[in-house]
Formats: sequence, C-alpha cells, structure tokens
Amino acid sequence: MAESPSILATVACNLDADILSAAFPLLEEGRVEALEWAFDALYWTEQPPAWFADLLDSYSQAGRLIGHGVYFSLLSGRWTAEQQQWLRQLAQVAARFRFDHVTEHFGFFTGQNFHHGAPLPVPYSPAALRLGQDRLQRLQAACQCPVGLENLAFAYSLDEVQRHGEFLDQLLAPVNGFVILDLHNLYCQLHNFAVPYEALIELYPLERVREIHISGGSWEASSLVPGRTVRRDTHDEAVPDEVFALLARTLPRCPNLKYVVLEQLGTGLKTAASREQFRRDFRRMAALLEPQRTGRPAAPDSPFAPLPLAPAGPAAEDETLHEQQRQLSQILETAPSYDAARQQLLQSGLAGTDWRIEHWEPHMLETAVNIARKWKK
Amino acid sequence: MKLSKAVLGAVLIGLTV
Repeated sequence: MAESPSILATVACNLDADILSAAFPLLEEGRVEALEWAFDALYWTEQPPAWFADLLDSYSQAGRLIGHGVYFSLLSGRWTAEQQQWLRQLAQVAARFRFDHVTEHFGFFTGQNFHHGAPLPVPYSPAALRLGQDRLQRLQAACQCPVGLENLAFAYSLDEVQRHGEFLDQLLAPVNGFVILDLHNLYCQLHNFAVPYEALIELYPLERVREIHISGGSWEASSLVPGRTVRRDTHDEAVPDEVFALLARTLPRCPNLKYVVLEQLGTGLKTAASREQFRRDFRRMAALLEPQRTGRPAAPDSPFAPLPLAPAGPAAEDETLHEQQRQLSQILETAPSYDAARQQLLQSGLAGTDWRIEHWEPHMLETAVNIARKWKK
Repeated sequence: MKLSKAVLGAVLIGLTV
C-alpha cells in the first residue's frame, strides 16, 4: 500500500442506504481515505450484512476505520445497566472490527430511557469531571484504543462556551484522549453567542485535536427575540461556505490532526441533487486538505496511545447530579412555555448551583425546550 | 483508498437488493 496521507479525507457512514448511495461514487473512485462508523446506531444484536462488514473490514485492515458512538450518555449522574451493556457490546464490536480510535459525545441524554432524548451539557463541576474521567477510562478499557470526545453544539451561556475547551482537556487528560473538533458545532456557537472565531478557537486544546467534523445544519427563528435566529446542528443540509472557511483556518492549527470527516444524515440525502451536493462537499473538503499535507509527517499514533489504566471498583455516580438532570429533563419536556420553564427552573434543585441557570440566555433555554420536546418519546 | 472490485460490487448489490 502507498504511504498513508498525513490527514485522511473521511466519510461518516452507517448501514444507511441514502448515505451509502451518496458516497458510493466516491468509494468507487478511491477518494474515501477512511470511514467513520456510527457503530451504536445499529441494533446491536443484529449482525451487519456481509457486504457492509466487508466494507468495514477493508478500512479496518488498512488502519483507517474509526468508531463514533452516539448513545453512551457519558455524563449521566446515575450509572445504568444499559451503559454497562453498551460497553460490553462495544468491546465485542471493537474485537470484531479493529478501530483506529473510538469517540463519543460530551453531555447527557435528557430521556429517562436509554437511547431516548437529546444530548445536553452539564455544569463544568468537580462532580461532572469525576464522572467523565471514570467513564472515559471504562470506554478505553472496552475498546482498547485511543478515545476522544466531541465538542457539543449546544450551550446555555457565553461563559459555558468559553470554558468548554478547557473542560474537555481536563476530562481527556487521564486517558491521554483527544478532541473531535466539530466545526459546525463551533459555527453554531460563534453565531448563537456572537463570539469571534479567533477569540474562541484559542480556548480549545488544539494539540489534542485528532479529528475534525464538518456538516450542515439549519436555522430556527427565536420567538422570544424578534429577528434573532439560532443555528442548530441538525446534520440535514449541505456544508455551508462558512464552515469550509472555518476548516481552512483551523487545519494549520492542529498539529496532531489525522481525520477530517464529512457528516450528513441519510434523511438529507434522498434526492439525486442532494447526493451530488454531498459529493461536491467531499471533494471541496479533500481539496482543502491537500496543501496541509505537503511537508507534514503522517500523524503519529503515540500522542493518544491508551494509558495502562484500568478503572477500579463500581462506576462513579453522583445522585445530586442525577436528580438535577431528572428535574431539568422533566421541565424542558413538559413546561408549557419558555416563561413557565424559567420559573420552574428557578424553583428547582438547579437554582443557585453550578448549573448557573440564572445566567442562561433566554434564546438558548427556548432552544433547549424545543430540542427536548423534539426527542421526547 | 482503493477498494477491491469484489467489495465495491458487493456494496452495490447490497444497496440494490
């Protein structure tokens, strides 16, 4: 095999006919240099069909298959049997398909049941840090490869946005983990909090960035603030020019970058036109990588090699955090209006705590209500 | 990355049927 490029142009896929149909001409042309597989979007006990497993094996054997989890709910206050089962199944999948690394998301799921709800942030508190560090160790023990976390698109306040990178760094340090820098998520925050790129990007641990995501999203008008729009990370549209511009500016700042991934949900790839746009986006992404490869050595594995840590004893839990998450989920999912949600929060167990609900931006609390209702079962 | 014709053919058939 020819020497591996230092940065790999990657497609995010799973067993989805629309994504695979959109990507197939790129696969056929040999342009897809790595695959990111959302391994837990597949019903665990069903084996993927042989043709899909063969595709995964092709990339795995080349050391270019990466795993991306969605449903672990890393920062839930309570440890559940479903999370334990998720880890067991990850260990089985990772033994079958060798991953170059495995990633998950920051935050917790609002729903009372596993796989339900929407991922939302938690306070950057010592309790959340302890939980996250413990669970990342368990994640790494299950997959036996480097592990990383993705920055979240949603935030309640500018202060939270500005401290996100530092908290990710603290979470990842004990497992020698890395960051997936999702540039559409960053774009959401730049817009939703009117913060300049240069002011925000320097607050991220860019030496920890091993993977970058780009994707599209959508706009939602705020009913609270006339004329105000909220950018949401819905993954259902083409990549906007602004995100490509962010990619061009960010690539030179990430010395340990190995994968740049184009993400789009299959639900946005139903038409021939949308699939052609997806391929144009991929080619545009790949073209931006090319000048960055010149003179750049292949990204070494060693910066994020797993540490010989084994989590001891039962999984960490925090009953106070669990109760706060339960109250927040209930309020977001059931409050009849923004005003009602705000009043209920001020009378809840979150008031006067690290959640800092008193400082939440109205248009973002409104968005949280919309998100929670969207995913409520 | 070049994929084998067998893998590509199987994906195409898989998507079709």
